[in-house]
Amino acid sequence: MLTTLQIGPLNLQTYPLALLLGGWVALAVGAWAARQTGLDGDHIYNAGLYGLVAGLIVGRLAHVAAFWTAYRAQPLDIVGLDAAAFLAWPAVVAALGGAGWYVYRHKLPVAAVTDAFAPGLLVGLAILDLGALLAGQMPGAPATLPWAISLWGVARHPVQVYEALAALLAAGATIWVLRMHRRPGTAAWVALLGYGLSRWLLEPFRAESMMAPGGFHAIQLLGLAAALAALWALRQEFAAS
Amino acid sequence: MKRTKWSLLIALMLVAGLAWVWIWRVPAGATALPALPPAPAVGHPAPGFELPTIAGEDFDLASLRGTPVVLNFWATWCPPCRAELPELQAAGSRYAGQVAVVGVNQAEPAGVVQKFISENGLDFSIPLDEAATVSRLYAVRALPTTFFIDRQGIVRHVQVGPLTEATLAQWLRTIYP
Repeated sequence: MLTTLQIGPLNLQTYPLALLLGGWVALAVGAWAARQTGLDGDHIYNAGLYGLVAGLIVGRLAHVAAFWTAYRAQPLDIVGLDAAAFLAWPAVVAALGGAGWYVYRHKLPVAAVTDAFAPGLLVGLAILDLGALLAGQMPGAPATLPWAISLWGVARHPVQVYEALAALLAAGATIWVLRMHRRPGTAAWVALLGYGLSRWLLEPFRAESMMAPGGFHAIQLLGLAAALAALWALRQEFAAS
Repeated sequence: MKRTKWSLLIALMLVAGLAWVWIWRVPAGATALPALPPAPAVGHPAPGFELPTIAGEDFDLASLRGTPVVLNFWATWCPPCRAELPELQAAGSRYAGQVAVVGVNQAEPAGVVQKFISENGLDFSIPLDEAATVSRLYAVRALPTTFFIDRQGIVRHVQVGPLTEATLAQWLRTIYP
């Protein structure tokens, strides 16, 4: 396990580094994919930047709203550099909104842009999974398999590796479809199918998983729903051709 | 024909999907995971330790079972530690008797620590980890590091880096009320 990287006097945390690297690679792959479909790759970087800024601002504002009593006492913390002071879901929704606003403002074809983003996001997720493996985050459930890895005294599924491989496989399939030049949007549905299948298949191998009523793994159910929705959309595309 | 094949594929996916979901269902009353060994990681019981405190008492983490614990590792030479200590002091006063705030000092002489806490008016429990054995037990690689431990002694969050009043309130929610 490598939770931190010691570079001279600097002690850098591995997982945030993987987040930065994953984000940059996601945009680079997205820009490359955009060029494959005839779009200007710079639009992907710009939309990503809009999403990043919107996500940071709304993520922090949501944190301020949630913990207003604390911020009221220390208002300078509202603009502080604390990397933990963000709420994730509002940030993700705002990031999507920010990127969407850029696409709308520049009258870009939504389906083609989504196709371009899809493989990049999957490669970025794979990098994030490997970062989690190094940092000992999102550990796998206990296992007795020959390839189990030991973490904190327990042999576990290397679920981060499973998820990284699944994401790369889905990215490969997405790029393959992208290069077939099918109808815009098809590659994005393939990406959603691959990601949904991976969450449906692999979620039970995580040590900690959000549970739904009835003892079901909530993310596994969402993954199945996403995969079925993607299959239905692909049925319209491929059955008609 | 093609459309029929796709419909069949979707139906198969639905059946196989629900079967896989059902196989991994956690029955009511069962725990999803077996008991884990003590480790400084989320979901594990916090490793037990005993140390003398700056006040000359014996500190035993096990004695706090039943009380949520904020276990902070710090040193006087560490600027981010010094920045967050007032927040820990305020939390210690605010939640007195409900949440235990513990600041393990890492590898410094008692005299240096005593001078620092007198100057800064810190009155929460400060065990002295002079040989850094507890820091190694908790795999502390950067200061400050804070463990949020619930009433059952399970680690619920690990914060590497300084806490602000807001992030302290945020992570306290994982162990209190």
